Amino acid sequence: MKFFFYLAAVLVLMTITGCGEKKEDVSGNVTVYVSEDQVFSEPILRDFEKETGIRVNAIYDTEESKSTGVMNRLIAEKNNPQADVYWANEPIRAEVLKQKGISAPFVSENAKQIPAVFKDPDGYWIGFSARARVFIVNKRVEEKPKGITAYTDPANRGRSVIANPLFGTTTAQMAALYTVWGDEKAKNFMHALKQNSVVISTSNGESADFVAAGVYDFSLVDSDDAINRMRSGKPVMMVYPDQETGGTGCFIVPNAAVLIKGAPHLKEAEILMEYLLSKETERKLAFADCAQIPLHPGVQMPAELKPISAIKVMPVNYSDVAKKMIEIQPFLKEWMGL
Amino acid sequence: MSERLFLTVIVIFLMAVGMSPLLFMLFESMSVDGHFSLNAYAEVLQTDRQWTLMRNSLTLASAVALLTTLVGVPIGILFGKTDLPFRRFFTILFVTPLLVPPYISAVSWSNFFTHAGGFSFQFLFGLPGAILVLFTVFLPVPMLLTIFFLRSIDPSLEEAGRVFASWGKVMRGITIPLIFPAIALSFMLVFILSFGELSVANFLRYDVYAMESFTQFSAFYNFKAATAAALPLVVAALLFLWVEEVFLHKRRVGSHAHFGREVQLIPLGTFRVWLFLSVAILGFTIVLLPLITLLIQSAGLSHYIDAFDRAGDSMLRTLLFGVFAATLLTFFGFFTGYLIHKRTLKIWRLADAATIFLFALPGTVIGIGLISLWNTPWTNFIYAGPAIIIFGLLAKYTALTSKISAVQLSQISPSMEEAAQVSGAGWFRTVVFIVIPLAWRGLAVAWIIGYIFSLRDTAVTMLIYPAGQDTLPIRILTLMANGSPELIASLCVIMILITLLPAALFWLILKTIIKVSP
Repeated sequence: MKFFFYLAAVLVLMTITGCGEKKEDVSGNVTVYVSEDQVFSEPILRDFEKETGIRVNAIYDTEESKSTGVMNRLIAEKNNPQADVYWANEPIRAEVLKQKGISAPFVSENAKQIPAVFKDPDGYWIGFSARARVFIVNKRVEEKPKGITAYTDPANRGRSVIANPLFGTTTAQMAALYTVWGDEKAKNFMHALKQNSVVISTSNGESADFVAAGVYDFSLVDSDDAINRMRSGKPVMMVYPDQETGGTGCFIVPNAAVLIKGAPHLKEAEILMEYLLSKETERKLAFADCAQIPLHPGVQMPAELKPISAIKVMPVNYSDVAKKMIEIQPFLKEWMGL
Repeated sequence: MSERLFLTVIVIFLMAVGMSPLLFMLFESMSVDGHFSLNAYAEVLQTDRQWTLMRNSLTLASAVALLTTLVGVPIGILFGKTDLPFRRFFTILFVTPLLVPPYISAVSWSNFFTHAGGFSFQFLFGLPGAILVLFTVFLPVPMLLTIFFLRSIDPSLEEAGRVFASWGKVMRGITIPLIFPAIALSFMLVFILSFGELSVANFLRYDVYAMESFTQFSAFYNFKAATAAALPLVVAALLFLWVEEVFLHKRRVGSHAHFGREVQLIPLGTFRVWLFLSVAILGFTIVLLPLITLLIQSAGLSHYIDAFDRAGDSMLRTLLFGVFAATLLTFFGFFTGYLIHKRTLKIWRLADAATIFLFALPGTVIGIGLISLWNTPWTNFIYAGPAIIIFGLLAKYTALTSKISAVQLSQISPSMEEAAQVSGAGWFRTVVFIVIPLAWRGLAVAWIIGYIFSLRDTAVTMLIYPAGQDTLPIRILTLMANGSPELIASLCVIMILITLLPAALFWLILKTIIKVSP
């Protein structure tokens, strides 16, 4: 019995003495919330620790929470921020943070050469190392899809798959289409997807696996999902959609570095921001299994990647996409039957 | 400190840890610009889809609870009451799926069926697959509870029966009625666990109600709607409280203390070999096949070195949190169970209802509630440290240790306590020297269950763990996104070992202590 009491006493002591208390003002620590996959982001953060001597405390998102877990946590922690930096795996949610007053502006020396389209004009987020939204296509398919409207081609009825548009980069892509095509055309496209029996999967990874296994012919996925399957020898290929003259272009999804308003370790946070936005980080992410496309000019990359300058990019304003994403949520929910 | 005062303090602490974040959330969900509003509830609950989801959830939870009870109780009897060969090995084998997060089991089955190919792969996705995976995950619940209750039965009752009747009649007339609380309790536990579980259903693309609350959080950032969407889950929990009250409490059997005596084993005779083969085939099919898939994928020292490199710190933290949380869960569970059993305070029903209510709630709701309440500059010492994880685990899982304790205490004759108190012993001395030694098996089971559930938790921990202090299941989940299957498989195997070995060691130490002590 005494043992139990001692343990209870230890817990009480631990809490009241602040055993796990946030060390305000202690230099050499930085807290980062990360939506980029841990397998790819952790090595970068470890290198940062080695090179700067600043200890990184990280919280990573899970596939299960669809890259929104840490985002929700940032929102919940708005009045008492724990994080210094948010490494978003796409800029849309970084825009949402800006709109909710959770992020702070940052001017980066390292990001000067990154094209303006991939940066927030006020510096609330800065893009780096991008994924492209591409088709993963099973090699046995004779007529390869060229553009996103291949989903609505009756010849492909029941043969294609797309990840749940309520989550992740698929939501962003749908919102981007709304901004480029206009509401009516985009809505019609969504209805046509249903009419053409397009299958909804739980994630891009699952879509890629379905195509690799030959269950379906093609799917829109992130470029890292496609390259990952190609590198592991699956019978698939990658197609950049809508590259013809006059085509909509390929939707690009850069990572985004975000400085959190009221960051407890501001100095270290700024050092980490610059590190993430460096050419060297982009080079590492290009050669990692995620094979992300550098946004700086002149960064080395693997042969299977197209440089950003060689891709016809979908002309979007990420701020508009973020607003549209929130606006179309009720429609997407209804579309999914929720 | 008197009995009443001490138990009141325990209840107040649990309420503060578990219920206050939810009440805070509830208050926020009903407040719009400072005014009372039920709009969030009306919007969420007035759609047909909610009822479809509810029907799906009820179908899944009922099927899993029924199947696990129908299979788990006979298996528990075979392992706990007969001379079946290798029954201890089989017990450990069948418990294994409970040790890992259900999501990992779903992935293992998916990997297995992917290799099997064809029709079987399609079969897995949907209701049948969700039932299969959850059946394998929760089968150990009725099995373990049956074994535990069988050991709590006074052997003299069966001995008396055996003088006049065969084992079959003794089982039907004495043993099974005595373990009926275990059967009802396990059915209820599995139902609630299946009802609130969303990761398996989500992975296998079967729409369930628990997903609605999760979706409101993760896709729409709508905390109010998520709180409203959790309401039917609360109603389901309350319904089961009622079922438990009218069905389980009234059937409680007042058997008395008899621990330390050997369980009388039923000789299986000619059925021994056939039953052994049947159990072996079942174990191979539902446990070993996915486990073998994991082992094959993780084969190779380099994968394990990589796993330790990637998650060594998380492994250590998982052990520490698991041991600490299990000890506190046992402590609070024991006294809550004691209160529920003895009904010393009028608020015993509140304590019972609150713990089950928290257990039935989706972990995401508890997590967000904890963030809402504790994330302030004044309470940063709790929010930014390990205490928040312990609070979350206490809130979520005290129901388990409390129920086990209450059921165990119901097997102890009240005359033992009364005799001690008549002899002049105070309440504390009576609890320490009479009740706890008599209830040690229940406490040990409560600790092990607390340890296992603390270790495998992802739903609560994922939302509240402080930066840089993740646990192994969380690390597995975060590495699952594009991590190599070999690395994930190695981590899953390590997770199983981390869970199984300390739990087994604890059990052996306890058994040794009890044998050595006079």
